[in-house]
Amino acid sequence: MRLLSLFILLFVQSSFAQNEKLQDEKELEVVDFSSIKKVLQQDGLSEAVKKKEKQIKAIKSEQIKIENERYVYPSENELWEFASEYWLIKNAQILNWDFEKPDYGIEKSFAEVMERLGFYQKKFKILLINSPTLVKTALPGNEAFILILSVPFIRSLDLSKLEISLILFEEFVRLEQGYFKQNTSTEKMRSLAGTNFQGRKADISMVEELLKKYHLQIFEKGFNFQQMFEVTKKVDAYLKSSPELWNAYFGLIGKIDRFVKSNTQYKDYVKLFPSPEMQIKWLSPEEKNL
Amino acid sequence: MLSIIFFAEVTLAEERVVGVYYFIPTFGHVHQSAMKTSPSLTTIQCSHPLKVIESSKVSVGPEWAFVQVADYKGFVFKSFLSEKRPSCLQGKYPKFFDALNLDLSELYYWGRLNDHFIQGVTRVK
Repeated sequence: MRLLSLFILLFVQSSFAQNEKLQDEKELEVVDFSSIKKVLQQDGLSEAVKKKEKQIKAIKSEQIKIENERYVYPSENELWEFASEYWLIKNAQILNWDFEKPDYGIEKSFAEVMERLGFYQKKFKILLINSPTLVKTALPGNEAFILILSVPFIRSLDLSKLEISLILFEEFVRLEQGYFKQNTSTEKMRSLAGTNFQGRKADISMVEELLKKYHLQIFEKGFNFQQMFEVTKKVDAYLKSSPELWNAYFGLIGKIDRFVKSNTQYKDYVKLFPSPEMQIKWLSPEEKNL
Repeated sequence: MLSIIFFAEVTLAEERVVGVYYFIPTFGHVHQSAMKTSPSLTTIQCSHPLKVIESSKVSVGPEWAFVQVADYKGFVFKSFLSEKRPSCLQGKYPKFFDALNLDLSELYYWGRLNDHFIQGVTRVK
């Protein structure tokens, strides 16, 4: 019995919702204008009715437009930012970024290096992680790009603020080259971004696919030799104008090369970023003469 | 009785609502103390209104605001607050966001992520 009354209540409510009409629309229905048409025409009332009908039509079309906009996928740039942050949330335990850390002042020194090299009005977010699982990476965002760096890695190499900033700068260049997006972008994401899905269920598999690609790229696939070469050459070109920065970068690559060769905990580094040894060769003046 | 009324008046006079501000990040926390790693009193989402309070009993650093959300009084990073209602991802794309079915732990970590991000910007030339 209770179930029946609940069903009737739901049925009545849904019929009301479907037939929901504007107050002005109801008023127009109540009055039978046809029988008093002449009087109305003389009084100019039929004009008023037409105006009101036009207004109702405009309000209704605006309502439909607003309702349609609720069923839209974020734009491609918004999806990148969303996916980057969602991936970090999904991997919070593995990456171990929710920990108390000292204020290294990295954001100031990184901004200084960027400005010295001519990169102005760039917004960034840095996330320090307490894990050697991931040494470094840059993730795409919308307004700000995201840089991730491992604190155990910084400590093990006893890196200076300048060296940390140069690692982050290399990641920024890699992201600017578009390799991360190129390696992780999916057909589904590109086709759905910014489109409307009203009348259908939102296709969340697009997000799942993208997150899987992030995981694969960051932990397994990494970047290829060609991409590493292009990034190294680009950084080389940017730093050329500042010998102090160039020397620090060259020294840093050497430091990383020696460290990852002797430390099994970071054996995957060479696979993901091939390779510091090659980078030294690409950067060395002798190599340039060949 | 008189002393109770007097006490109540003093307490009221010690706190003043500076204004209502809106939360900017997608998700975040109202903290127990003015520290990024301090425990969360409650999780809030983008565009949530917060009363910013000035209190003679509570001193906060220049980066933090003392706020009230429902029954909770705590601390929020000042740069996370806006006088105007911000444009939010979950507000712009409500049906997409609903379909994600985010669980409580994800909402919590999303808020923590915004606390842990070290944000910066290079200056204008």
